[in-house]
Amino acid sequence: MTLTRRNVLKVGAAAAALPLLGGKAFAQAEPLKVGFMLIGTVNDNGWNFGHAQGAKFMKEALGDAVAEPTIVENVPEGPDCERVLRELAQSGHKLIFATSFGYGDYVIKVAEQFPDVKFEHATGYQRSDNVATYNARFHEGRAVCGTIAGHLSKTGKAGYIGSFPIPEVVLGINSFVLAARKVNPAFEITPVYISTWNDPAKEADAARAMIDQGIDIIAQHTDGPAALQVAEERGIVGGFGQGADMVAFAPKAQLTSIIDNWGPTYVESAEAVIAGTWASADRWPGLKEGEVQIGPYNASIPADVVAAAEAVKAGQIDGSFNIFTGPINDHTGAERVAAGVTLTDGELLSMDWYVEGVNPPA
Amino acid sequence: MQFRLEKRREPSKLMTYLTPVAAVVLTMVVGAVIFSAIGYDGIGAVREIFLTPLTNSFKWQDLGVKAAPLIIIGVGLSIAYRANVWNIGAEGQYVMGGLAATGVALATYTMTGWWILPLMFVAGMLGGAAYAAIPALLKTRLNVNEILTSLMLTYASVQLIYYLVRAPWKDPMGMGFPQTRRFAADALLPNIIPTTIVHAGVPIAIIVALIAWFVMSRSVFGYQMKVVGAAPHAARYGGFSENKTIWLAMLVSGGLAGMAGMLEVAGPFQRMVPGFPTNYGFTAIIVAFLGRLNPLGVIFAGIVMAITFVGGEVAQTTIGLSSSATGVFQAMMLFFLLAGDILIRYRIKRVVPVVEARA
Repeated sequence: MTLTRRNVLKVGAAAAALPLLGGKAFAQAEPLKVGFMLIGTVNDNGWNFGHAQGAKFMKEALGDAVAEPTIVENVPEGPDCERVLRELAQSGHKLIFATSFGYGDYVIKVAEQFPDVKFEHATGYQRSDNVATYNARFHEGRAVCGTIAGHLSKTGKAGYIGSFPIPEVVLGINSFVLAARKVNPAFEITPVYISTWNDPAKEADAARAMIDQGIDIIAQHTDGPAALQVAEERGIVGGFGQGADMVAFAPKAQLTSIIDNWGPTYVESAEAVIAGTWASADRWPGLKEGEVQIGPYNASIPADVVAAAEAVKAGQIDGSFNIFTGPINDHTGAERVAAGVTLTDGELLSMDWYVEGVNPPA
Repeated sequence: MQFRLEKRREPSKLMTYLTPVAAVVLTMVVGAVIFSAIGYDGIGAVREIFLTPLTNSFKWQDLGVKAAPLIIIGVGLSIAYRANVWNIGAEGQYVMGGLAATGVALATYTMTGWWILPLMFVAGMLGGAAYAAIPALLKTRLNVNEILTSLMLTYASVQLIYYLVRAPWKDPMGMGFPQTRRFAADALLPNIIPTTIVHAGVPIAIIVALIAWFVMSRSVFGYQMKVVGAAPHAARYGGFSENKTIWLAMLVSGGLAGMAGMLEVAGPFQRMVPGFPTNYGFTAIIVAFLGRLNPLGVIFAGIVMAITFVGGEVAQTTIGLSSSATGVFQAMMLFFLLAGDILIRYRIKRVVPVVEARA
């Protein structure tokens, strides 16, 4: 630690933390402090729960090499998150995970002030020397869900609750519809954007409204199980867990779930920081690497549908199947991807158009 | 045994100013006891929430930045509440001020000049005042309760943000994310202390509070507000128009909320995003009351509220206290304050049941 004004001022905070370190004073190296900044609470049973599980996994895997992970919940996407990031950096966290898209500007800004702290921004696109981005190929899981939806839906209409029309969300919608239309070519969905990642009341309202309009399958790209609970209550064909297995909330309605398994990637990052080999990069693993997992199938799903879903999953793992291989038409019916051509990662990450079968939201 | 509240003849002046302090102290004591009782480090929680933000000089900048909008909005609300005009929609007026300033920033995106920020400042105040004019008009013309209209307009204003950032104002470089582009350099609030995040809004908040204090205690306007609020009948005899007071109260509180919106969007946010409404307008209601509806008290109250926000995050990172705990502490503070207010105006008296004597 060099003697700068910042460090001198930090003495107060360090003194408060001394009792925590006391027991480990004779350990060879100071354990790495890792911080996690979440947009919701760890008990949302979805997105934030998934990250908290990842933090736990990291601590269990690395033991005394890392300190008990620090999790800051309910941090809004705005100037408040800048303060939390600085707080984490100032209190000695050398690796900080910011786990919501809207933190991007602030991660870059704070990272400039703390060049010795490594930041990782989930689902973002802005990087710098000490800011990496990471994401998971959720859309691969969406293709599995879409396959099931195509088989099971009686009305051929699904609802989709999105947060914001950013590429990550658009990708999931398109993947879901493409997969469903391979089974039922008349399948269509109407997405609704609710402008938040986590608002159970809004999610439930949107679900009810769409069910009233005749959908019988619901998918969501928000953080909690609210939409699934409505599906359970209304007795429609079903929906899908997102971020974590949500079967406890909808034992009948959850057909399967896309589980985010962040643990291994958190272990990898923490190990790299400890070893001094950490470098800014963009990581985008999926089903193959196990970062995206498909949860148990509901017992009510016929065996042939499970087999079809498993085939889509296996194909994406061994690389024989890619949901974004042409021919793909956009929502107006014009050909967007030629037969045999597969969209590149760059094209996927900037996707701002809907495939055929999506009724674009207003 | 029964108790009864009995009105005091004259509320104690001293106690009026002591209750906010007592509320804060009681919140700390009771908070420590409750959190210890449920198995947390209660004393640690209180220390991290209330003291660390004050003792750690790194947190001062955060306190200033967080307190500034609360103080500006709180000052406006305290003026309105003094006149018994219940503007609950400061959040919406804050949003409209931010949107008006954003409109100017985007319209002047390719231009440079010192005049852009002042223009945004004026636009922000006008935006907030114009939005507050709707409840004022409905109240004075149709006698519609301003609590309902101002509150409901808040939700409409949030939808307006969603619409604007999704379509007409969407950032062309934002990867489809609903937000405006980052403002050009001349539309951003300057930092007044280098290497910190303290922006020009912080001294402006103090200046606003000082001016408001001077106006409220030394001018006819202030006198009018207080008289209409305290004694409407006397005010009517004195020739003060009730409608004019409602208009003034709504326009001033709306304009100040709009000013706070402009300072936030041009300062910490630097662009309009769907997350722009962060409940400053609602929190400022607590601030106004905690500050005894006195602009100088509002400065103190704004800083106390900022401490609980900043300290709540410190407590999360250092002792792993859940974010809901911050809400518990803020709610306790308001509870003790309101309870204290009751006791200033009433005393508790034991009621002795009268036993009828039988002959």
